Amino acid sequence: MRELAELLQTGQVSSTELVIACLEQIKQTDGVINAFLTVDEQGALEQAAQSDARRARGEALSPWDGIPVAIKDNISTRGLRTTCASRILRNYHPVYDATVVERLKQAGLPILGKTNLDEFAMGSSTEYSAFGVTKNPHDPARVAGGSSGGSAAAVAAGQVPWALGTDTGGSIRQPSSFCGVVGLKPTYGRVSRYGVVALAPSLDQVGPLAKTVEEAAALFSLIAGEDPRDATSAGAPAFQVPRWNAAVVQGLRVGVPEEFFSSGLNAEVEAAVRRSLRTLEEQGAVLKPISLATNDYAIDTYLTLVTAEASSCLARFDGVRYGERVAAPDANTMFAKTRGAGFGAEVKRRIMLGTYVLSASHYEAYYEQAQRVRTLIKLEIARAFEQVDVIITPTTPSTAFRIGEKRNPLEMYLSDLYTATANLSGICALSLPCGYDSQGLPIGLQIMGDHYQEELVFQVGRVVEASVERGPKVEV
Amino acid sequence: MKYDVVIGLEIHVALLTESKFLCSCSTAFGAPPNTQCCPVCLGLPGSLPVVNEKAVEYAVKAGLALNCQVHTFSRFDRKNYFYPDLPKAYQITQDTYPLCTDGFLEYYIDDELRCTAITRLHLEEEAGKLIHSGSSIVDSEYSLVDYNRAGIPLIEIVTAPDITSPRQARLFLEQLRLVMRYIGVSDVKMEEGSLRCDANISLKPQGSPVLGTKVEIKNLNSFRALERALEYEVKRQSAVLERGGKIKQESRTWDERAGRTLSMRSKGDAPDYRYFPEPDLPPLQLDPAWVNCLKDTLPELPLARLRRLEESYGLSRYEATFLVNYPDFGDLFLELAKAGEDNTALVNLLMGDYARLAREQGHLAPGRIAELLRIVAEGLITHNQSKAVLEELFRSPLSPREIVRDKGWEVLRDAEQLRAMVQEALAANPDIVSRYRAGEERLWGYLVGQVMRAAAGKADPKVVNELLKEELARG
Amino acid sequence: MIGREEVIRMATLARLELSEEEIELYTRDLNSFLVSGKKLQQVDVSGITGTSHAVSVIHALRRDEVGESLPREAVLAEGPEVLDGYFKVPRIVEGQE
Ligand SMILES: [Zn+2]
Repeated sequence: MRELAELLQTGQVSSTELVIACLEQIKQTDGVINAFLTVDEQGALEQAAQSDARRARGEALSPWDGIPVAIKDNISTRGLRTTCASRILRNYHPVYDATVVERLKQAGLPILGKTNLDEFAMGSSTEYSAFGVTKNPHDPARVAGGSSGGSAAAVAAGQVPWALGTDTGGSIRQPSSFCGVVGLKPTYGRVSRYGVVALAPSLDQVGPLAKTVEEAAALFSLIAGEDPRDATSAGAPAFQVPRWNAAVVQGLRVGVPEEFFSSGLNAEVEAAVRRSLRTLEEQGAVLKPISLATNDYAIDTYLTLVTAEASSCLARFDGVRYGERVAAPDANTMFAKTRGAGFGAEVKRRIMLGTYVLSASHYEAYYEQAQRVRTLIKLEIARAFEQVDVIITPTTPSTAFRIGEKRNPLEMYLSDLYTATANLSGICALSLPCGYDSQGLPIGLQIMGDHYQEELVFQVGRVVEASVERGPKVEV
Repeated sequence: MKYDVVIGLEIHVALLTESKFLCSCSTAFGAPPNTQCCPVCLGLPGSLPVVNEKAVEYAVKAGLALNCQVHTFSRFDRKNYFYPDLPKAYQITQDTYPLCTDGFLEYYIDDELRCTAITRLHLEEEAGKLIHSGSSIVDSEYSLVDYNRAGIPLIEIVTAPDITSPRQARLFLEQLRLVMRYIGVSDVKMEEGSLRCDANISLKPQGSPVLGTKVEIKNLNSFRALERALEYEVKRQSAVLERGGKIKQESRTWDERAGRTLSMRSKGDAPDYRYFPEPDLPPLQLDPAWVNCLKDTLPELPLARLRRLEESYGLSRYEATFLVNYPDFGDLFLELAKAGEDNTALVNLLMGDYARLAREQGHLAPGRIAELLRIVAEGLITHNQSKAVLEELFRSPLSPREIVRDKGWEVLRDAEQLRAMVQEALAANPDIVSRYRAGEERLWGYLVGQVMRAAAGKADPKVVNELLKEELARG
Repeated sequence: MIGREEVIRMATLARLELSEEEIELYTRDLNSFLVSGKKLQQVDVSGITGTSHAVSVIHALRRDEVGESLPREAVLAEGPEVLDGYFKVPRIVEGQE
């Protein structure tokens, strides 16, 4: 991106040319990949022309003015269709921009379009999208991961330089890992959620996906920081792309939790991650074996909390103010028919689970219990960060799986096994490629940092990135 | 059998903030439908709530005025249910950790001081407004929704079930309204819905410690409706119990026109609201110093004022109650009394014709009222004339003295002029005079009246009395 | 075990019209989820308070200032059925839950 920014700065390339190149790549590849739900060709070209005019006047809004971006389709874009990959919102056009979109526009980034996801971000493969699965650019028979599969695949397939995703239990990191790109789940509250269609508000975060750590950091710098419209972002610091310094790893205490390297972890994934750990050690980092025993409960805790919050957040889709409506003679029947027809199977499954765990007679045994286990997870993470500076793990237990391979929902939920802990404890976590398996599929490595330690996580990520040889180029 | 009546109230008060509870839309009453809405109060996907600090301040003030314990930690929860007027299909409220608990309110029933416990007071958001196509919700083909009201801050106040009669329930609610008005957190208008009340009522055999089955009454749109509906329920429930029947736990609605409560259709189980902590709003943490500061700035409350008016100003309960119930009159009284005006003359003036005129046309400047009282005390005009001056004060920008001068209303005190009038009156009524002399003393008033009429009401009654006595004695 | 009745009650609470197949499917899913919930119930959490917010934030209040509302056309633009400046809904049957 530094190159792109320089090319734009020196006038060797225009924003219009960049947008046209992206649109061309989308035309050529998206028939197979299906990363985009909406491509805003006209809007992107107009914004690019404005950017070029600004550059010509020497009034660029930011160093990245003119570099196009794609937005996950659960983030509100004013006047631009925002479907959440759900039938119930197939024609919904928000009347306002999410804060993150507003900030990207203020930095001069043309919005190329909206990317595919699992319906309402519920899933780990985009197979639950109402508008077709997104395919992995490294192997179209495989999933791109999810729920931000569209954003990850679009970046990996060169359709767009960078994109925004959302992460509730791993939804940025897991598809980043599967598609061989870099993705950050920021510290809870560091990025505004205003305008982001909620899945589970106590866990959701918006984050960047890009080809390199530096690019991800740059995109993050445009969206981070307190927003008066999001009370949970109060006091969150802004972020500036740091001066890169490989020396940060000298004496760096790297926690290696044994529970993340246990049975169920694919051997090739383990080998790649351990190789990167050794490289860090060679450069002066101190590897410390630690235990995160509560991770054993992470998925169950996560599932309980997500379904509960989601069942409440998705109640507003009742066919009164927006979205599709199925007519009925009375309001309650209209609600039930609208929701029954508008939501897909996984969304209904989670609403049912969430309704159950919140219902009066089960609240204490399920929801309340999960909240208390969450506290244990938080406490354990906090204790870990007293001993180490970062924690490094694989992002996922395996590389991208085949489309249709995971039929059982509980099996699908296990995709978040290594990622949900960061959401439950509110810390930041970065996923970046650290090699390829024997089938040429990317392997992801996760660097977790304490609250607001994004800069450190990026610094370490850059060192890991530099040590990893570039794998096979994506061919579509 | 005799029954004890057990009543508890659940009251909603709309707070008088400029902007809504969780977004910056205006709270102004009466705007065209759906013109005071934004992504937040419409519940658009992705929108987020942010709490209005003024709403918190007002709720704390209300809690303090109701002698509650104000908790420096409280939390918001979601109450989940579907209804067309509820934009997010959940209401942001406070369930497990309310802002205030354990308060009480004292008030008089006739001469007896009563105290009702306040169980809790918490913040929540208002729903939108429904307009039904038919005459009521039941016989409407469709309904229309206006979200202007959605998201206005409310406080919900729940009393303990220790109210024992319908009249007491009304008096309690009236006192509560007065308190809210004194502290300025709401305009508490039942007709505009800024004060609403639901009542729970049950009966139990006199003296029994076991509570009876509770019935909830909704749609109580006035103080009168509250009292009448509860009276109706007492009769209805006693009749059921007398027959050996059982009271059904249910919600009933008050039908004002028919003068009775009606069972509301209910299908299936009790509602399951699936409360859980609102993840979009951090818990509310108040600075104890700030709460104390608010406590110090609370104005004098109605009961304290009542006592002060009685004890320090020697007013009767009736007079003091009037001044307390109409705080603008109370303020005026206290201001003028402080300036040294005579308390009795002042309260008589304020409660008399002045009250009627001021309600129609607004208050007079205190200085003009003081001057009116002074010219009566000085004898520049008679008490009777003061009424005309008062009327004139509401019409004219002139001062009382200027009015009296302009109209030529000064009291006639010139003894010679008055003596002539007295003599004329006696000469014109020889019959009355002789009867008076024969002992019919009650005719005195008639003679005074004759003189006053001749003087067009301006004669100084003291002088007239003296002269009349002299002239009659002269025979 | 969660029975069919319980599943129907949940669907009613959540206002989801389900087909017969869906009722069967979610009865199975709810029961397999119970296993997961039961596992959590084994965890000793005595003396532990629940976490409802990931990061503790204090004083996130806004000033009482009126901002701009949306124009009415925008408010109603996405409404499935609108009439005279209102959103229109079919007959409301009271008390159903
Ligand atoms: Zn609003």
